[in-house]
Amino acid sequence: MFESLENSAVALWVGESLYGYPFMLSLHAVGLAIVVGIFVMRDLRLLGLFAGISYESIDSLKKLAWIGFSINAISGCFLFTSQATTFIQSTPFLLKISMIFLAAICAAIIQNRMRDDAAAWDSSGTGAVGSVKAVAAVSLALWVGAIISGRLVAYL
Amino acid sequence: MEGFVTAIEGTAINEWVLGSAWVWPIMEILHFIGLSLLLGSLLIIDLRMAGLFRRINIVATHKLLPWVFVGFGINLVTGTLFVFGDPARYSANIGFRWKMVLVLIAGLNALWFWWKINPVMKSWEPHADTPALAKTIAWISLGTWFSVLLLGRLIPYIGTG
Repeated sequence: MFESLENSAVALWVGESLYGYPFMLSLHAVGLAIVVGIFVMRDLRLLGLFAGISYESIDSLKKLAWIGFSINAISGCFLFTSQATTFIQSTPFLLKISMIFLAAICAAIIQNRMRDDAAAWDSSGTGAVGSVKAVAAVSLALWVGAIISGRLVAYL
Repeated sequence: MEGFVTAIEGTAINEWVLGSAWVWPIMEILHFIGLSLLLGSLLIIDLRMAGLFRRINIVATHKLLPWVFVGFGINLVTGTLFVFGDPARYSANIGFRWKMVLVLIAGLNALWFWWKINPVMKSWEPHADTPALAKTIAWISLGTWFSVLLLGRLIPYIGTG
């Protein structure tokens, strides 16, 4: 199955044309900066940094973060096709995908809680509750882990 | 450029970077974490300074500035180590040269911000639109830093010209 994917027209365009791979890799770098950048800043805010930037306003950046996420899901699929049989057997790659999947679940949990409670955290001045802080800390670790394992795909 | 290469090759730092198979991937990981911190904090600061996301208190965005410097610092150190590890490759690479020119432009733009915007920003309405100069500086910042990101990622694919 992965072999036929690797030999598909799309995979050959990504892997063997002059611009396919660098183009997808460029999109993947831009998407990474957006999604990891925004989600990491949101997590740091939830953990208590940059008081003064309201939780509600940080929540308003989520659409942009998901745009970055989508850019990388799409460009990532293209990159995957070109070396499908290698990637599907690569431990760091599988670890990376698992961590991104879990980080997306964390983001869904966090934005659900922020939609309901961010205004109250802002007005009470107490900050995010412990359970949300814990999810933010896990999210932060998962994004760092995804970067580490993503880089290691090229080495292990 | 040959003088530059021979000056670096054989130095202690050059040998340290090349000495273990783990140094390079660890530097790359740190470089990626640094870029996420740099661009993440800049995205929020610059998009707000461009007049977007007005729910964000523009006066409070200065609290993100230290993270711009942390991200830049990590990448300056790791980036310098890449050059020390492989001076011939970087000095000859057109993508790398343009990247450095754009980092310089981004730095001058940051000075422009420091000179013209930072001193007056504290008195701005937290959720209002921003002046044209602030918007200009914000878009130059985003444009140059994302170009730096792209050129960096494309170094392996751009030749020596």
